[in-house]
Amino acid sequence: MTNTIALEVKNLNAYFGDFRAVKDINLTYHKNTVNAIIGPSGCGKSTYIRCLNRIHEEVEDASVKGEVILGGKNIYAENADPVEVRKHIGMVFQKPNPFPSMSIFDNVTIGPKLWGEKDRTKLEEITENCLKKAALWDEVKDKLHQDGTSLSGGQQQRLCIARTLAIDPPIILMDEPTSALDPIATVKIEDLMNEIKKEYTVIVVTHNMQQARRIADYTSFFVLGDLIEHGLTSDIFTNPKEKKTEDYISGNFG
Amino acid sequence: MKIPYSKQDQYVYTALRFFSLVVVCLLIAIIFQLFMASKLAFDEFGLSFVTDDFWNPVDDEFGALAFIFGTVVTSILALLIAGPVSVFVAIYTNEFLPKKIASVLGLFVELIAAIPSIVFGLWGLYYLAPFVKNFLAPFLKKYLGFLPFFQGSSFGIGILTAAIILAIMIIPTITSVCREVFKSIPNLRKEAALGLGATKYEMVKIAILKPSFSGIMGALVLGLGRALGETMAVAMVIGNNPVISSSLFSAGATMASVMANEYAEADSELHLSALCYVGLLLFVVTFFVNLMARTIVWNNSRKSKR
Ligand SMILES: Nc1ncnc2c1ncn2[C@@H]1O[C@H](COP(=O)(O)OP(=O)(O)OP(=O)(O)O)[C@@H](O)[C@H]1O
Ligand SMILES: [Mg+2]
Repeated sequence: MTNTIALEVKNLNAYFGDFRAVKDINLTYHKNTVNAIIGPSGCGKSTYIRCLNRIHEEVEDASVKGEVILGGKNIYAENADPVEVRKHIGMVFQKPNPFPSMSIFDNVTIGPKLWGEKDRTKLEEITENCLKKAALWDEVKDKLHQDGTSLSGGQQQRLCIARTLAIDPPIILMDEPTSALDPIATVKIEDLMNEIKKEYTVIVVTHNMQQARRIADYTSFFVLGDLIEHGLTSDIFTNPKEKKTEDYISGNFG
Repeated sequence: MKIPYSKQDQYVYTALRFFSLVVVCLLIAIIFQLFMASKLAFDEFGLSFVTDDFWNPVDDEFGALAFIFGTVVTSILALLIAGPVSVFVAIYTNEFLPKKIASVLGLFVELIAAIPSIVFGLWGLYYLAPFVKNFLAPFLKKYLGFLPFFQGSSFGIGILTAAIILAIMIIPTITSVCREVFKSIPNLRKEAALGLGATKYEMVKIAILKPSFSGIMGALVLGLGRALGETMAVAMVIGNNPVISSSLFSAGATMASVMANEYAEADSELHLSALCYVGLLLFVVTFFVNLMARTIVWNNSRKSKR
């Protein structure tokens, strides 16, 4: 059974200076699942997900306590290298952030290039593959050498997804990947998550509860840095154990 | 329909128009005066003034090539030294130091800009020149002596010393502009690089240096502009000998330094006029350097916006 576990979070706490934004989270994520995180604005969803690939600590004065176990190893162990961690746990950010003055092709291949992949055909293969997975290939295949920032917001977000897929991480974190997208692009991204879970484990923050219902196998509900409830999406939405969860999903929260 | 300006707006508008006109008129007046003052030398030597390298006030024979050479070489050399140092300092303070320490360090760097030119000159004369003479020059000669730039022996003052002084003087300008440029890069782009498994150094390369190319160029231009026109400190340490030598240890003179040194003592009309001609040339050189660099920056920012 252990080999179905993708990521295990133990007593995770995140701080901004003295402010504890994420409190004692314990969660287990299984391989080949989509896991949604929902909760009111400011409840620490972004902060939490950013702890999972050690990006949180890049913020000035921010710190983390607790363990995140990936493949039997704690990514917060003293000898763990954050750079190495991030190669295994990719992240798509809330706002599209392609690199300016870099072509679409360069944007997608930057990860593999960083680790020394130089073979042009291989890189082209990766580009086509990942852009197809991100449902962007048809729109950009004729202009791969244009600047990445020349694309529309929604296309940029899919470009960022392709860029993350290119590093081929077993776990992909997404922070509200569709909040800036129109409904059509949103559907494409949702399809994508459904598609890529065959190969990857996806953890996604979303404000859209319909979306969580559509895409997620499991859902976690956060309030003010606390994990209120975690379980099968169908249970959370139809049969929540906690009063707070019920209030939130029925729109009566607070 | 055009909305008429209110009375108050009209006053403000007229005042603004007046003052911008004053600025333009001043510029034109200065150029015109410079032309008139250098007319005598221009009639005498024509354009060969630019290509002749003798400067002999006693015989009233003047050519400015040695000064042009001195200005260009010291400025470029200063830029070569100050550019990398400034970019490095800017990156280090912005990205690798805690904010509080960074702002203190930034303040110190900016304070360098507040040191008067003449103080730099004195420091150069009493401290830097002996250092160059006793340590730097022998060191360069020992390891790079096969290059034509490090031939002969150094008396301390000279092209190299002037260039180092200039470099120190333009570091604050370049550093603070670079820091602003780097600061304008949103965090989320740095995180994008880190999130892809880039090391901090790779992040600096991808997310900071690459997109900042035109900004860095802009900073270098500002530095170069300062270096080209800097007068006092250079006049004190360059040796004021209008010769063209491939060795950086040799003494030299710049366009600005010769004006500062000789203007008060010039007794012939032609000598005075020749000095004004040098001033005109300095103006032209600075103008074109700025124009060229602005074109680079403009082209580059247009390319990266596309
Ligand atoms: N850089 C920061 N410094 C200090 N406090 C921060 C910082 N970023 C976030 N916080 C605080 O941490 C808490 C959690 O923020 P976080 O961004 O994780 O919320 P979120 O659940 O992602 O909200 P949203 O749904 O609006 O994106 C908030 O109270 C916020 O004020
Ligand atoms: Mg958020």
